[in-house]
Amino acid sequence: MKFIKNIQNSIEYNSEHNVLCVNNVFYSYNDFATEIKKIRYAIANTIESTEKLIGLVTNDDIQTYASIIALWLEGKAYVPVNPEVPLDRNLQVFNSTQTQYVIDSSKESVYNNHIVISPLNLTESYPDLNPKKIEGEDLAYILFTSGTTGQPKGVPITFNNVQALVNAIDEEPTFNLNNTDRCLQMFELTFDFSVVTYLFPILAGSCMYTIPKGVIKYFYIFKLIKEKELTVLTMVPSIINYLRPYFHEINEESVRYCSFGGGALHTDIAKEWSNCLPNCKIFNYYGPTEFTVYSGFYPYHKETHTKSYNGIIAIGKPQKDTLYLVVDDSNKEVPIGATGELCLGGPQITPGYWKNEERNKLSFFSREENGEQIRYYKTGDLCIKDEEGDFLYVGRADFQVKIRGYRVELSEIEYHAKAKSEKKVNMVAVDIYNKLGNAEIGLAIESNPFDTTQIFEYMKSKMPNYMIPMHVEFIEVFPHSINGKIDRKALKKHFNIS
Amino acid sequence: MNREDILEKVTIAFSKVLEHNNFTLTNNTTADDVDGWESITHMMIISEIENDFNIKFKLMDLMNMNSIGDLLDSLESELKVS
Repeated sequence: MKFIKNIQNSIEYNSEHNVLCVNNVFYSYNDFATEIKKIRYAIANTIESTEKLIGLVTNDDIQTYASIIALWLEGKAYVPVNPEVPLDRNLQVFNSTQTQYVIDSSKESVYNNHIVISPLNLTESYPDLNPKKIEGEDLAYILFTSGTTGQPKGVPITFNNVQALVNAIDEEPTFNLNNTDRCLQMFELTFDFSVVTYLFPILAGSCMYTIPKGVIKYFYIFKLIKEKELTVLTMVPSIINYLRPYFHEINEESVRYCSFGGGALHTDIAKEWSNCLPNCKIFNYYGPTEFTVYSGFYPYHKETHTKSYNGIIAIGKPQKDTLYLVVDDSNKEVPIGATGELCLGGPQITPGYWKNEERNKLSFFSREENGEQIRYYKTGDLCIKDEEGDFLYVGRADFQVKIRGYRVELSEIEYHAKAKSEKKVNMVAVDIYNKLGNAEIGLAIESNPFDTTQIFEYMKSKMPNYMIPMHVEFIEVFPHSINGKIDRKALKKHFNIS
Repeated sequence: MNREDILEKVTIAFSKVLEHNNFTLTNNTTADDVDGWESITHMMIISEIENDFNIKFKLMDLMNMNSIGDLLDSLESELKVS
């Protein structure tokens, strides 16, 4: 596998350079190699060769990043779980992947029923970083996203998928990292966007700067940009929404690339942000977890490239080897200029949801193109293809929303809200927007007011923090649309948060 | 206004935004220690405090504000200037 060999080469070639800065402590590529070899030794000597899906607790430390590389050198996949997410949900994840081994750098591990490898207490080292022979069809990672029925949905990604992502980014002449770059790594490792913010810096010998837990993210990010003179930013748009009131105080000449993804980027704020970074190229990336992070981008420029639809910047063109197709309800291509669901085909496509045949039938289809069967993933995003071949983002086709970049199924929140409620009443989760333009979750309850403490405690034991509703409104009778469905738009008006 | 008075006013702003008062703010308190104090509510708390004290924080102050102690320091110096 070429990209894994290149990771090895980069780590060895850049041994004097820094790979990571965690809470102001720097680690070199040499330190990184030392950690990888220790963890690799433990993997090779404790985990049976048939065990491929290995749990990884995503702490903010060098050992956690080293574990990913060590697993890959051994041809194994990581199944990341966030230590801040309820244990119950994380165990559900390990249960569904039948994971027995967990790498956990926490001081004390809570995974008592698993075989835990603690990278902090290892003494022996594997002799080298030479990758094993790796099957491209084997998995590199599995990430879990919000599912509609209270069960998180697993998205497996193969080594071939990751190689295809690397090939596509390498092909892009306007984006080139090098070993003097200082890159922001703001993402939790259970979030698929993190794959590009650790993989590309490591391949280039750049240094990653992470965000410690418990800080206010957007201010800490600005502090890093300012004090560490970061050169490469990869962010979700909600970060700059928070910083917007302070844009007039921001002028950061060090930044040369700023990539956005994981949510709609609006034209007005992109222009203002662009003024804060005078030497920077801005990329508006698009891509779902199911298609290995990125599938394409639009090269935004405040004067020359400002294509948008309803104030949302275009998502541009597909990258190398990727096909975009806009279809109607029966998976037939719609004409240029018409709205339809965006579907993605090519080598970055996931083999399919983990053990979820039902969902796979709905989300994937094949069609013949030039005598070849092409498999497509239906993104649930509505798009328009324009005359110049650029794709414009219109909105979602379902009830999925983005909260701080995380994909959230509103029905999963409703499922857990209703599950243990003594009052059997209608509950609907809605996405509402605060005055900064960021989505928050509201829970509308069709009832006279009652105490929701127990409902919230239950939700907090089942779902990560970002999925817990921030606002509750009791409404005696829900508004309905003409065809009898609950009118979600009208419900949203009951929440006044802007 | 002395530091205790400032802290009292700050505590009121916190409970108004967070809609609870299950916390005691001291110099060492950080976002980790208070239920509900995170990205979104931080923004709301800051603007609540700016309104209550009739001041405007600088981004440079905010980026170094890691604890209640830092917040009180900033407020003290802002209030001296105005």
